[in-house]
Amino acid sequence: MEYIIQTNNLSKKFGKELAVNGVDIQIPKGEIYGFLGPNGAGKSTTIRILLGLMKPTFGNIAIFGKDLKSERINILKKVGSLVENPSYYPHLTAKENLEAIRKIVGVPKTRIDEVLKTVRLQDAANKKVKGFSLGMKQRLGIASALLNKPELLILDEPTNGLDPSGIIEIRELIKSLPEKYGMTILISSHLLSEIDQIATTVGIITKGKMIFQDSIEELRMFAQQHIKLKVSQHERAWRALLANGMKAELEDGHILLSDQTDQHVAEAVQLLVQQGISIYRVEEDKKSLEDIFLQMTKEELAG
Amino acid sequence: MMMRLLKVDMLKMKRKGMWFLTILGPVGVIALQMVNYGVRKEYLLEQSNDYWGYYLKNISAFTPLAIVLGIVILTSFMASIENETNAWKQLVALPISKMSVYLSKFTALSIMLFLSSCLLMIFTLGFGLFLDFNQEIPFLEVSQYSFFPFFAALPVLALQLWIATVSKNQGIPITVGVVGVIFAYSAFTLPDWMIWKWPSLMNEWDDPTINVWLGLGVGSLLYIIGMFDFKRRDVK
Repeated sequence: MEYIIQTNNLSKKFGKELAVNGVDIQIPKGEIYGFLGPNGAGKSTTIRILLGLMKPTFGNIAIFGKDLKSERINILKKVGSLVENPSYYPHLTAKENLEAIRKIVGVPKTRIDEVLKTVRLQDAANKKVKGFSLGMKQRLGIASALLNKPELLILDEPTNGLDPSGIIEIRELIKSLPEKYGMTILISSHLLSEIDQIATTVGIITKGKMIFQDSIEELRMFAQQHIKLKVSQHERAWRALLANGMKAELEDGHILLSDQTDQHVAEAVQLLVQQGISIYRVEEDKKSLEDIFLQMTKEELAG
Repeated sequence: MMMRLLKVDMLKMKRKGMWFLTILGPVGVIALQMVNYGVRKEYLLEQSNDYWGYYLKNISAFTPLAIVLGIVILTSFMASIENETNAWKQLVALPISKMSVYLSKFTALSIMLFLSSCLLMIFTLGFGLFLDFNQEIPFLEVSQYSFFPFFAALPVLALQLWIATVSKNQGIPITVGVVGVIFAYSAFTLPDWMIWKWPSLMNEWDDPTINVWLGLGVGSLLYIIGMFDFKRRDVK
């Protein structure tokens, strides 16, 4: 498989503390890679290292199959980035801000209007960025990142501080990019719901360590579902089910059925009714990805 | 690449009032002499038979102060452009070398200070002619008094730019700058090795070219140290 980003034992020390600890990232071409972790887990530091803003303490990085250390400038020519809070020059207009970057990346002037249109800022093009709302500044940041038609787009918390409609808008924009332009995207967030809605591959980092890296489907597999029964005499009901060869678990006074086919549920209910047990509720108990995320990061904390 | 970066830095200086300061410096220095000569021209002409020479001495009393003050303000403006929203992280993630980023900032500031020096020369000549000394114009001295302080002040420029770009807390470059301005003001009493004395063109050998060579030499050295330190540091 062709990896756009591949890191090997990437580590960064701040003083004595390891902010990033032996992280191996692998991002296949054309994927939207969701980089997930609680605040302070080392996401931003990792991203800064990938952009050459910080030097890793050890480990190496290959982007587009080239070594970042020796070919930083050639790599960055094909990378667009937005790191944390958007950076801008408040005393300049949106257009001038983009022009300041365009001159360096060397693309034709028409690109400025194109990217402003992409992020829907064309009406504010000649206004000073000072007066922009946070959402507009964030969109300007994305416009700057898109200016050089990057093959790899790195977005650090791009929806931070946006209102719900802004989040949806940015999400739709990001989702459309790989298809339209064949971009590979690395997007970080501390919100799983955010990543859940756009990412195709997920990496979870906590305390500087990568604890999960696979496709989003794999992650969803962890979200196993159960049928939850609330009954009178749960102890007796559970024994009755087990005695009849049905898989059931007892948890906090509830019975959990792991086999969720309609037929199986019906049989279980019928059996319990015949035993004279009252059934109060039959419901689907879906473990959310949030729970998995919390569980994973908690386990890591305990260990 | 360098040319493009320089153009970008010029673009970023728009509406910051930096060009205004560039002009204000030499105007201020000459304006002081306009007041001086306006109020007591007769008395001043009695002080020396070399009218032009005495006039240049008067001007050169304020040039070092203006140039050091100008350096402190301009470098801090320059750094504030990138520091304000931490635009360093956006700038350095572009396909350019960190060294060229630093060089471009230094060059832009040098251009402004050089322009100030040119204006100082023009204004010096202009007001000198207006005063109508009826003596031969000492072009060589006029240009020396206009441009030598610029070269002699390069170490201060390199030092201030270094501190301003690597400091998270802008109080540090401002403090160093204010101390530097005080030093430049009291240049007369400073030992020769202090860089803030050099723009005054004074030294124990009475040869201003020494200050120029020292300025160029130590200025380049401080510039190189600053650039490598800037390159070495992580962008937070």
